[in-house]
Amino acid sequence: MRAAPSGEALPLPTRSVSAPGAGRALPVRATLAAAIAVGLAAAAWRLSGEPGGARFALSLVFGALFGFVLQRSRFCFYCQWRDYLVGSDPRGMLGILAALAAGVAGYAVVLGAWMPDPSGTRLPPDAHIGPVGPVLILAGLSFGAGMAISGSCISAHLYRLGEGSPTAPFALLGTGLGFVLGFVSWNPLYLASLSEAPVLWLPRHLGYGLSLALSLALLAALAWPLLRRLPAPEAPTRVDPLRAVFVLRWPVWLGGLAVGALGTLAYLRVGPLGVTAEIGGRARQAAGALGLLPDRLEGLDTFRGCATAVRDALLTPNGLFIGGLVLAAFAAALIADQFRPALPTRGQVVRGLTGGVLLGWGAMTGLGCSVGTLLSGIMAGAVSGWVFGFAMFAGAAAMLWFGRRTGLLA
Amino acid sequence: MLRKPALLLTIAAGILVPTGLSAAPDPAAKPLKDGATREARSNTSQESPLVSTEWLEKNLDARNLRIVEVSVEPGVFERGHIPGAQNVVWHTDLVETVSRDIAGPDKFTALARRLGIDGDTTVVLYGDNNNWFAAWGAWVLAQYGLVDNVKLLDGGRKKWEAEKRPLDTRNAEVAPSTFTAQAPSPKLRARFADVLAVAKRERDEQILDIRSPDEFSGKVIAPAGIQELAIRAGHIPGSVNIPWSKAVNPDGTLKSKEELKALYAAAGIDGSKPIITSCRIGERSSHSWFVLSRILGYDARNYDGSWTEYGNAVGVPVVNLAGTVWGGK
Repeated sequence: MRAAPSGEALPLPTRSVSAPGAGRALPVRATLAAAIAVGLAAAAWRLSGEPGGARFALSLVFGALFGFVLQRSRFCFYCQWRDYLVGSDPRGMLGILAALAAGVAGYAVVLGAWMPDPSGTRLPPDAHIGPVGPVLILAGLSFGAGMAISGSCISAHLYRLGEGSPTAPFALLGTGLGFVLGFVSWNPLYLASLSEAPVLWLPRHLGYGLSLALSLALLAALAWPLLRRLPAPEAPTRVDPLRAVFVLRWPVWLGGLAVGALGTLAYLRVGPLGVTAEIGGRARQAAGALGLLPDRLEGLDTFRGCATAVRDALLTPNGLFIGGLVLAAFAAALIADQFRPALPTRGQVVRGLTGGVLLGWGAMTGLGCSVGTLLSGIMAGAVSGWVFGFAMFAGAAAMLWFGRRTGLLA
Repeated sequence: MLRKPALLLTIAAGILVPTGLSAAPDPAAKPLKDGATREARSNTSQESPLVSTEWLEKNLDARNLRIVEVSVEPGVFERGHIPGAQNVVWHTDLVETVSRDIAGPDKFTALARRLGIDGDTTVVLYGDNNNWFAAWGAWVLAQYGLVDNVKLLDGGRKKWEAEKRPLDTRNAEVAPSTFTAQAPSPKLRARFADVLAVAKRERDEQILDIRSPDEFSGKVIAPAGIQELAIRAGHIPGSVNIPWSKAVNPDGTLKSKEELKALYAAAGIDGSKPIITSCRIGERSSHSWFVLSRILGYDARNYDGSWTEYGNAVGVPVVNLAGTVWGGK
C-alpha cells in the first residue's frame, strides 16, 4: 500500500479567502497546532493530578489520539462507502475492515483476561452489546440515510468540525434534535419490541476462540471481493516521513489499524470507544429541562451501549473524549493545511439538519453510532454491532441511490 | 518545510513527558515509617475489623487471605484491582435476583466456594464509594457466620488509589473452598415487624436512619436520579438521623473509635439498647451497621427493607417533618 497523495478525493469545502488560518504560512499554523497539543497535554496532566482524575485524563488523551487518527486518515464510514459505490475504490472500506479485525483481536485478549468464562449470564463490563431486533435494523437504516444526507457519520462530523466544515455544526445540532425524537419514541419501541429483543454475545455461545475465528472469517469474506477490485499499485515514491505523518493523507488501512488498537486500549483503561454518550446525555438533560421527555424512559438505563444518563457534572469522560477529538482534529488539520472554514450554504444547513436528525434518532434507538455500536460492538463480539453495521451501510446505499436519482445528492 | 513544526512538537513533548512522569511518585520508593509498621502489626490481630492499606500491601501474598472487591460501578474491578483480589457483583452475587432477599444458602455456598472462603480464612473486603457495598458484603457474610474473620480495608479503593499503590488487571486463581452455608442467622437482620414494633413503641429499641437530612425530613422521597421509590416520604417514628458519611474522614477511612462513639452518643445511641440501622434499600445503612456492630461492638441489626419497604407499607405510622403530600406540597 502506498500513501495517497494529499487532498486525494477529499470533499473539502471551497477555499474561503478570508478564513483565518487558511493559506497562512506554515510557521503560524504549526505554532497554533503545537499550542493546542501543549494545551491538551497540560489539561491531561492537570486532570491526572486530581483525585480520581486519571480516567478523565485518559479520556482526553484517547479522544485526542482518535481525532488525530480520524483526521489524518479521513476515517469516515460514509466517505469510504461512497468511494466504493460511486468511485469503485475499495481501499477505504478495507480500512474499516482492518480496524474491526485489529479491534476484534485486541478485545479478545482483554475480555479473555477479564472474564475467563464467558458462558454464564453475565456480560463483560460496559462492553457495547445491545439488543438485536427490528428496532436495531430501523436504527441502522436511519443512521445510514442520515450519513448519506449529511455527508458523514457523527464521528466524522466531529473531526470535520475541527476542519472548519460548514455542514458539521448543523449536522451535530440535528443529531441533538434526533436524540430528543429518539427519547420521545423510546417507550413505545421498548414496550413493543426492545424489551423482548435478545442481547446476543458471540463468546457466550462460541467461546472466545471460535468467536474470534468467526468474526475474522466474516471480515475476510467481506474483504475478499474488495481486494479483487483494488486499483493497480502506483510506483513507490520517496516521501519525507514527517510529511507522510502530518500532511499527506494516511492510507485508510493504517488509520484502521490505529483505530483498532485505540479501541482496545480505550476499553482496557476507560471504556469502549463511542462519541454519542455525551451528545445524547446533554440532549436528554436539555429535553428534560424543557419538559419534552416522558417521565420514565423504560429500561433505557439498563441497556449497554452509549449510555445517555442525564449529565449533571460539568466534566464527563465522554465529554472530554469529544473535546479532545475535535481539538486534535483541528490541530492536525492546521498543520496539514486542511482547516478551511467557510460560510454554510442553505443546502448545507438543510442537509446537515435533516441528515443530523436521522443520525441522532438512529444513534439513540440503536444505543450508539458507527463508532459505539458498530466498531465497539463488533470488536466485543456483539451481534448487535454486525446487524447495525449491515443496516447502516444498506441505509446509506439506498439513500445515496435515491438522492443521486432525484438529483438531490451528489 | 516541516522541520520547524516538528521541532516545536518535539520540544513540547520533551518538556511535558518528564514532568508527567515526575508527577507520579513511585510508591515502591516510599519507605514506610515506623508508625506505619506498628500499625500494620496491630492490624494483624484478629480483633480489629479493619485492616490498613499498608498492612494489606505487605500481606498480599499471605496464604490464608482472600481479598474481595465489591464495587458499584461496573468495570472498576476489571480495569485494575488490588493484586490478588476477586470480584463480587453485589446486585447479582449477594442477592436473589428475582425475589427481594439476600443470596440464599445455596447461592451463597457456591459464591464462598468460588472465592475460596472458609470459616478460618481471613477475608478483606473493599470497594468504591467508601466501601458501601463492601460493608453490605460484610453484613451478608456475617449472616452466614463469617464475622470475625471478615475485615474491611480502611479507606477502601479510594485510599488505595490515592496512595498510588499497585493495581492488577489479572484474575486471581484461588483454590475453591468446601464451605457450606447453613440458614442465615436472623440476629443481624431486622424485619418489617421488628421495625413496626419499635415505631409503635411496643419494643424499646433505637432506629438509626442514615439517609440524607432531606430524605429523613420528607422533603424528598429518594436521592436525585433514583427510580426505586416509596409512596410516602418521611421516616419511621422514633428514628434518629445521622447520615452515614459522618462516620468517615475525608480520605475515606473511618473515624476513630472515640470519635464514632461521641458521634452516635450525641444522638442518644450509646449501645445501651439494641439498634436497628435503616436507609432506602439497606445498603448505605450496612456501612453504619458495620461501624456500630463491628467497630463499637454494639448490638446492631440492619433493616434491609428500609424505606422502600416501610414507606410503601399500608397503615403504618410515619413522621413527615417537611409536610409533603405524595412527595410534593
